[in-house]
Amino acid sequence: MITCHAFRANLRPGSSEPELLEHLRHCDACLDHAVGVDPDFLFRSIGGEELVPPGGVDAFTHDVMQQLHVRTTETRLAHRVLSWPRRLAVAATIAAAMTGAAVVWQHDENAKAPMQPMASATTTKRATPAAVVASLTTKPVVETYDSKNATIVEVPSEGANDVKVVMIFDEQLPADL
Amino acid sequence: MKTRNSLIASLLILLVCGAAFANPPAEKEKSLSVRTFQFKYKDADKAAAIIKPLMSAEGSMSMQGATNALVVTDHAENMKAIANALAQFDSAAQTFRLSVRLVAAGRGEPAGKVPEDLRDVAPNLAMLRFTTFEKLGDAEFEGKEGDAGMLEMPTGYRADFHFGEYDPASDSIRVSDLRVSRLTGAQRDQLTQLLKTTLNLKLGQTVILGAAKAPQSQRSLMIVVVAHR
Repeated sequence: MITCHAFRANLRPGSSEPELLEHLRHCDACLDHAVGVDPDFLFRSIGGEELVPPGGVDAFTHDVMQQLHVRTTETRLAHRVLSWPRRLAVAATIAAAMTGAAVVWQHDENAKAPMQPMASATTTKRATPAAVVASLTTKPVVETYDSKNATIVEVPSEGANDVKVVMIFDEQLPADL
Repeated sequence: MKTRNSLIASLLILLVCGAAFANPPAEKEKSLSVRTFQFKYKDADKAAAIIKPLMSAEGSMSMQGATNALVVTDHAENMKAIANALAQFDSAAQTFRLSVRLVAAGRGEPAGKVPEDLRDVAPNLAMLRFTTFEKLGDAEFEGKEGDAGMLEMPTGYRADFHFGEYDPASDSIRVSDLRVSRLTGAQRDQLTQLLKTTLNLKLGQTVILGAAKAPQSQRSLMIVVVAHR
């Protein structure tokens, strides 16, 4: 086996001389030195001539890198594109959330708005139909008055059946009514 | 297997959600219903005025003059009240009583003694700063819907009117063309009309209709009216 000095003196990039490769297999310090000169010495040192991939190391590295890119792209796309069962599951979740929100909102609306009708409904059960409808509407006492210049004032009363006072002020009325 | 189960679960959720949106119970309750009412005793156009205050914003009606009918569209809960009101409205002419009291109310004089039969309305008149009350007469008339009535007071006052339709929705009777007149002249042979009006009187409620030239007038004519069955 040649000496380390002789090895380093004869070492050239791409060299495949048997005595150089033999030295590489036994000397780690020279292996580090040789890889620094030409990385292919790493392969040559472990397997010799027969371990060089078909088409050369560059083609092999290119293929490996290409496969690596393909896998990376596949993984990235697999994360972004959802399968249709997953899409359906997402749609179902959104629909369920919307339904829940709508039901809650409607419940709130029903709780607020129908308080008045509920009271009326209770009255309906207790009172006669005539009394029920009577409570629903009121009419002005004075429907028409035969003078356009008159002022009609309806004095509000506390109860629905209290005495109602309505005053008509009309300049055309005689003073000695 | 796991995918299939999740698919079935998702489809079930979507179906339930779709059903919930398609047929919510609240919408079902709010659906409109249509009903035709045909009248035997009363006119359909007058019935329309009766039920108008009972209808919702979504409600509508159309008259069929040839058959004296009214087609009403409204929510089911409103339709019950409308049907009740129309059932009471379309009845044979009902009898009502109208009692009228005429009172001359004055201001500026010391408070006098309130006549016994005006004590029920004196507090209301006092609120209008009237201090003296003079009864000008009272009378009562009994008649049916559509009847013409006339009340005469010994003091020369007179009231002419027509009983209109009873409105079950407001439990009131319409007293139309109420003309209050007074006999004037040396011989008291000239009838002078003082006022003409149409009133809606809620049954059993006392209404004081005051008439004066101006709010600060010293004298007012108070017409105290009550309608009863």
